[in-house]
Amino acid sequence: MNITRRIIVLSLLVLAGTASPVWAQAKSELTIALSSFSAETVDPALQGHNVKYYLSLMFDYLVGVTPDGQPSQQGGLASKWENSADHKRWTFHLRKGVKFHDGTEMTSDDVKFSLQRAMSKRSTTGYAGPLRTLIADIETPAPDRLVIVTKEPTLIIPTYLSRSLSTEGMVLPKKYIEANGDDAFARKPVGTGPYKFVEQVVGSHIKMTAVDSHWRIGVPKYKNVTFKLVPEETTRIALLRRGEVDVADVSRERVKELEKDGFPVHMRKEEALIHVWWILGPDGRTPPTNDKRVREALNLAIDRNEIAQSIFGGYAEPAAIPMGLSWSFKDVGFKVTPDLAYAYDPARAKKLLADAGLAGGFTQDVYAFQLPGFAEGKAFAEAIAGYWEKIGVKSRLIPVDYPAFRKQWVDRKAPGAVGYYNVANRDWIGAYAFLEKQGYTPSKLNDTVNDPEVDGMLSQVLRQTDRDKINALMRNVYTRLRSEHHGVPVVFVHSPYAASKTLGKWNPGSVMYDLFLDELARR
Amino acid sequence: MVRFVLFRLLQSLIALAILSVVVFVLARATGDPLHMILPMNASAEDYANARAYLGLDRPYLQQYLSFVGRAVTGDFGTSIRARRPVIELLQERLPNSLKLAAFAMAVSLAIAFPLGVMAAVHKGTGVDRAAQIVAVLGQSLPTFWVAIVLVEFVSGRLQWLPAGGADGLASYVLPGFTLGWFVVAGMMRLLRSGMLEVLDSEYVKLARLKGVAERRVVWVHALKNALIPVVTFAGIYFAILVTTAIVVETVFAWPGLGRLAYDGITSRDFPVIQAVVLVTAILVAAVNLCVDCVYALIDPRIRYAR
Repeated sequence: MNITRRIIVLSLLVLAGTASPVWAQAKSELTIALSSFSAETVDPALQGHNVKYYLSLMFDYLVGVTPDGQPSQQGGLASKWENSADHKRWTFHLRKGVKFHDGTEMTSDDVKFSLQRAMSKRSTTGYAGPLRTLIADIETPAPDRLVIVTKEPTLIIPTYLSRSLSTEGMVLPKKYIEANGDDAFARKPVGTGPYKFVEQVVGSHIKMTAVDSHWRIGVPKYKNVTFKLVPEETTRIALLRRGEVDVADVSRERVKELEKDGFPVHMRKEEALIHVWWILGPDGRTPPTNDKRVREALNLAIDRNEIAQSIFGGYAEPAAIPMGLSWSFKDVGFKVTPDLAYAYDPARAKKLLADAGLAGGFTQDVYAFQLPGFAEGKAFAEAIAGYWEKIGVKSRLIPVDYPAFRKQWVDRKAPGAVGYYNVANRDWIGAYAFLEKQGYTPSKLNDTVNDPEVDGMLSQVLRQTDRDKINALMRNVYTRLRSEHHGVPVVFVHSPYAASKTLGKWNPGSVMYDLFLDELARR
Repeated sequence: MVRFVLFRLLQSLIALAILSVVVFVLARATGDPLHMILPMNASAEDYANARAYLGLDRPYLQQYLSFVGRAVTGDFGTSIRARRPVIELLQERLPNSLKLAAFAMAVSLAIAFPLGVMAAVHKGTGVDRAAQIVAVLGQSLPTFWVAIVLVEFVSGRLQWLPAGGADGLASYVLPGFTLGWFVVAGMMRLLRSGMLEVLDSEYVKLARLKGVAERRVVWVHALKNALIPVVTFAGIYFAILVTTAIVVETVFAWPGLGRLAYDGITSRDFPVIQAVVLVTAILVAAVNLCVDCVYALIDPRIRYAR
């Protein structure tokens, strides 16, 4: 064997040695490959709900929820809670003996500190604003008791501080943060969750290791959990095939291929509503979409079943209520009856346009962009533009990235132009919080509706303490949004997560931005 | 020589100063980072709070002066998206990019050298044509496509090599090859044409007449003289490999400078964008300066001709 051949053979042996598939190792590791980590901060006060999937392993919430989003006295640091008769004092009873990863015991001081931190001006969490408005005081009568005093009677406090919403309910260690500072905490966070922080390389991965025993999970099944950031889907799937990752988010179009190859694909059913709206002008809606008939016509022009099949590979269901999030429907007793569904009826759409004096159609701008979890964004924009073209509405597609569109939207610089979003599905309180920003005139910045009747009903929800009346208000809001066609609800998409063949049973649940990966760690 | 180096250094500093203004202005012209870090339901008050906390409410001139003042001490501020000092992110990423570029360059040299020499020695034969095909493919196949094909087949289907990450030697192979192939093409062509010129020179003919073995004529006498432009090319390309591997780093989930730049741009993370552009520019300027100095040492006419 000459020297060149020897070198080649040796090189191949070295590579084979270093490249052996990970599935050969003992499976005490759980590795999750995701296309986006959102902001990649590990400090709950510095990001909102879209980083919950990794933070939920490191931190416990004050109020726990079941994977289907129901408040649970078993799942959070509060073992029970009650409200005063006037609904202005909420008392939370905390578990005793729960320890942070640094060994200190969790008390009501930590909960108070965490909540104040989540409401601070520095906080960028999803619902810091409403909590600032609502909370008057936080009392700590005992280490295992916390009282939240609100300015107005309300029902929403437990839900706002639960795992079903954002990160405001995550409990952080007061002493550790005060001793080490916010920056140190953001680099090496400490919580009470089943996994403790090991390492974060921004743009690459977040590693955690199991605590010896956790009050909720017991001894975690996996010694280490790693979240890998892998933007390219082909790479995520290759990693899955090689056994280097156990869970990967995949696009809807690759589901059948993966299932055929024996990889279980877990669906988060109706995870997001693909919702289209028109940007408002400084004084509200502008012609021609200030005419209800035009808005209805644009709804009727779209074949939702075809979009569900052709753009989303059949993993989507037609939607009927503008801004209506289906996980909230059951909470408030709202039923989408067949007459509420938008039929695909281009002839009637044309007639409505003619009735509105637009028989010759009109021109509108459609912003085309992709979003995390919505890789089909641009194809979707092209599809709806195509449907509208058929009824004489010419759509100028403007390819941008989302921040550029959002600037147009919140600055109201492109009135009447069309945008869209994959709005994460959520329970009734989350749906209310979403409507309160995007469908409520006083919120100004994000409003897309500008309807005094909707404003009136939404303004009552927060102050209402009778759950039946809240449900009725929410139902009426949905009915009004539908009857006025305040947007174009297109489909609810299912989000697929492919798993390794050895992962076993996993219920990714139906809670906004939470994959309940900690349930996999339960033995 | 010292005057020459100082003059080129001054030129580089002026270029960096201009670049700092351009990148500062352009980064802000593309959008507002708060649209990315704040939730969709953020209120005007949330925006105002975040803007004040991040110092984005200050006048642009003040922001620029603060950025430049700190940058000269190596402090590039804090990432708006990751909320960590940018210098820490650079310290994590730059070594990965350097290592990948070094590996890719080694791959390029290992392929381009024998190919270039063989193509010149066997000009017009099948070997030459095969080498030309390798060169053409290297320069014409889109890097993104090559990367995806390698991931899909070599890693996903055949499962020979890791598809992503930077764990161990094996993880360098696919991104290194993808990145290096483009360079192979240029280097191979340069070496081939250099070798053809040298092989036709008088001193090579003399060596042959004197009975020196053909292998020694080609690999020692001729190659040594054909190497000068290739070494220059390799030096400049190394800097380019470090700084332009966005596509390769994205496909192979490689935590390098390119990915940092891409994430910074998509999230309007001004401090990160500014830092990556400046570091890249410093790297390129340093390599260019070194190449200029080497040239000036080799050929004194360059020193006097400036």
